[in-house]
Amino acid sequence: MKVSSNAARLVSQVLAGEVWPALADRHGFRVGPDGQPFSLPGMGGVTLGVHCGDPATGYASDHLEPGASVRHRDPDANMALQFLTCVGNQVRVESGPAAGAVGHVIGQHAYVLVDFAGAEMAGITTGDQVTVTATGQGLALAEHPAITVKNCSPGLLADLPGGTRPDGRLEVHVAATIPAEAVGAGSGMVSEYANTDLMGAYAGLGEDLSLGLEGLRIGDIVALQDADHRFGRGYRPGYLTIGVISTGQCMLFGHGPGPSSLLSGPADAFGVVTDPDANLASWLHQGQEWSR
Amino acid sequence: MSGLRPVAVNLLGVVEHPELGGTPYRVDCDGRSYVPAGDGGIVLGPRLGESVFAWDADHAAPGACLVHPDQAARHALAAYSCIGNQIVVRTGHAAGARGAVLGQRGEQGRVIAWLAPEDLARMRPSDQVAVRACGQGWRPPGFPDEVEVLNLDPAALDVLPITAAGVGGTVTAGVRATVPSKLAGNGIGRPSVSWDLDLQLRVPFRPEDASGGPAPGNLLLGDLVAVSSLDARYNMGYRRGWLTVGVVVHGASPLPGHGPGITPILTGPQEVLRARPDGAAHAGLTEAVIRQLTAAEVQLQ
Repeated sequence: MKVSSNAARLVSQVLAGEVWPALADRHGFRVGPDGQPFSLPGMGGVTLGVHCGDPATGYASDHLEPGASVRHRDPDANMALQFLTCVGNQVRVESGPAAGAVGHVIGQHAYVLVDFAGAEMAGITTGDQVTVTATGQGLALAEHPAITVKNCSPGLLADLPGGTRPDGRLEVHVAATIPAEAVGAGSGMVSEYANTDLMGAYAGLGEDLSLGLEGLRIGDIVALQDADHRFGRGYRPGYLTIGVISTGQCMLFGHGPGPSSLLSGPADAFGVVTDPDANLASWLHQGQEWSR
Repeated sequence: MSGLRPVAVNLLGVVEHPELGGTPYRVDCDGRSYVPAGDGGIVLGPRLGESVFAWDADHAAPGACLVHPDQAARHALAAYSCIGNQIVVRTGHAAGARGAVLGQRGEQGRVIAWLAPEDLARMRPSDQVAVRACGQGWRPPGFPDEVEVLNLDPAALDVLPITAAGVGGTVTAGVRATVPSKLAGNGIGRPSVSWDLDLQLRVPFRPEDASGGPAPGNLLLGDLVAVSSLDARYNMGYRRGWLTVGVVVHGASPLPGHGPGITPILTGPQEVLRARPDGAAHAGLTEAVIRQLTAAEVQLQ
């Protein structure tokens, strides 16, 4: 993105995390939109075979978190890890057979979500230690003071197409535009933690549940209409939030594929261009082998 | 579960003490910091029938919030307590005072207990309150199958502006206003038996936020409100053609994604569940209604 920023003034912090196990309870089943019970994998652990550019929905999964789900054992250190880590930050595996593998953060979901190339992902499991080089919080666009940057690494900002237009707007390319009706769980939470689940993307379920979002892909850059995420996530007519789809398929009602927040401000501060290539897969892991 | 008799369970609630972290500040939707007053515990001032915007507070409910020191018991307290359930204060200066459940709040679970202002003023955090929980799973006789009733004491249905035309007919709820589901904030995607749903309404009111009826800027604590395209049978979520009716149980919030909260009581397809905007004539869960519910002697079964 051709835009001036304070990227050169941002520091990096070296953070530690651990690939976190999938969690369940003794009751097993949760409840879908029509009351259907389900017990499905996808959240926590290392979810294989789904990478940036792949469909977000259509899996027998709930709260699908592509790749490795990372936390820190200490609650306060974990919040630092979750808040400070930004999309595009580099993550290195420190222990286990995949030690040395390098991936990238694709979003947050109460875990830091890390996408690795498939061959490397196969060697990662719960308990493996990782190092996150966190940079991006505090990123600001001097020529676009109405727009707040969230969870976006300077590297990702540079990779994004678009930039400052002659008319002063910030051109942003998005793969999809999301209506305000789709915003589900995550509304009312802070913008630096977890993400905004989108309803209306329940592939294979009723037409009355659909908001036409079944075609979303992991890594898609999307525009959320009437959403103000500058100071937490809320509905606000006339505002726009740019996010990246970091989680996929949900069966739990009121949940769904979720964007982590990247940019937020008045809608008229943006120039939105619909672009099917607006996906993290276009910029991250260039040149790597993507075996499934 | 049509035809099954509801059971009542005596539960113990403990009056909550508000909690804050190491910094007192929260950030409002315009980026200003503020110190949240009125978010939980015993809140003196707000009354049923007052505007949700009447007090400069955060999620202030007209009453005392009840919790339980054991988290699992706390979830059960929030899930099984229903609007109109009778409560009795067991300890402290207000011991013996009677009131009723007004609604619940989400996250770790809180029950909002209504008590007469003179009783509320004598209470303090850690006072124990018995809750006669009854209503979850109850289906009123003659109600159409398509409409679910939740979070409602069987005795409360008769004193609220809700009429049913029998099996195969419709259910009509008198409401202050109907709002679109895009105003649903915190609580969306969460279980309807144990969370309230915040409506992202704030002053100044924007006419485009309402669809029919008077401005939600006039929303009062205790009002019934309908939300279109919202299904609250299990988790709360978007479903085209569906309607949910709830009771306003706490006031507005400066937080983005938050606002006055409703406890859902009816949910069903809009062809069967109708909302009738009553405008200024609307009367929902008023103090008079609560006093009617609490007048009966508590029955311990």
